[in-house]
Amino acid sequence: MSPRTPDFFDLVGDEGTPEELGQLRRAHDMLVAAGPPPELSPRLAEAPGLQSRSSLLPRRRRGAAFLLAAAVVASAFGIGLLIGDRDSSGFTQSRAVPMHGVGQLASAHATLAVGEQDSAGNYPLKMTVRGLPRLEDGGWYELLLSKGGRPTLSCGSFAAAAQGVTVRLSVPYDLSQFPKLFDGWVVVQHVPKQRHAPLVMTT
Amino acid sequence: MPRVSAIQPTDEELLARVADGDRDAFGDLYQRYARAVLGLAIRRLGDRGRAEDAVQEAFASVWRAARSYKRDRGPVAPWLYAVARNAIADRGRARTEPPAEPTDTPSDEPGPPEQAEQSWVAYRVHRAMEELPETERTVLELAYWSGLSQSEISDYLAIPLGTVKTRTRSGLRRLSEALEEELG
Repeated sequence: MSPRTPDFFDLVGDEGTPEELGQLRRAHDMLVAAGPPPELSPRLAEAPGLQSRSSLLPRRRRGAAFLLAAAVVASAFGIGLLIGDRDSSGFTQSRAVPMHGVGQLASAHATLAVGEQDSAGNYPLKMTVRGLPRLEDGGWYELLLSKGGRPTLSCGSFAAAAQGVTVRLSVPYDLSQFPKLFDGWVVVQHVPKQRHAPLVMTT
Repeated sequence: MPRVSAIQPTDEELLARVADGDRDAFGDLYQRYARAVLGLAIRRLGDRGRAEDAVQEAFASVWRAARSYKRDRGPVAPWLYAVARNAIADRGRARTEPPAEPTDTPSDEPGPPEQAEQSWVAYRVHRAMEELPETERTVLELAYWSGLSQSEISDYLAIPLGTVKTRTRSGLRRLSEALEEELG
């Protein structure tokens, strides 16, 4: 279901010159006509060539690169994808899990990259999230593993900004237990002095 | 004039660096335009998977063609739009399945000129939204794309209703100025 179209005068009132209101109206109409931009899937989270240099190869060589990419197999890790990629900081991504906003934050989205387990048993996580507003008064977000849609184990907290933020976390849980012990991820929102932490994103 | 903070390079500066092989600049340019180009590709191709292929090819084309951009011929947005449109058209021509049988009834869908106009407007709106200050972009996204009323936005962001209205007006005004510069 698409969001309702906001009423122009509810948004801006009726104060201002006809020229000014006309200017605002044109922007309003274009926003309505454009609709929300699509979310980027994990595959498009980074520019081609930053994920893999093969995307920038000449066309005649991209066929072979494509065949190699086609061999990548979807994992049993929720709805994640096996990627197997190392970024400039040394983070080696083995799975990418898309997340989306719910309720009033339906337009929010995130990519949760799960790294390879280290020798001590920790899994590094790199989460790029967009569309979650920065919370006033010291509020924060928390990423948790979930089972049947219910939050279970905390994976860490972070602050966000609507234009997007990338955060790095680390969890000691055995993520190979998917989907036996956990079957997804959720993000909840914490506001100081409020006991309820509403769920704002899920896989 | 699009708003660009002191620490953010302009599109033109980024593309000049891309032309010199700067991958970081390429990544930054990608983040600014990827959603707008994906929206364009989905509108043109009607298929998410093929649209994602087209986005990757479009930005590979941007990487290869960056040196051909001439700043004195206009801003980056329409140049990148043209490059992306060509890559998307190539992807469209590459489809292998046979075309669907034409129907006897006239379609209510807009014709190609109208679709092209809508695609261009959506592309520019999505790109211009990226330029807005965070405070203004957030209230516009919540109002237009999440369906929240002004009072709901006020509650959600824990800011006065008057601030929501001020940011909304300011954001729309800034958006209009950015768009009218290129859309006329």
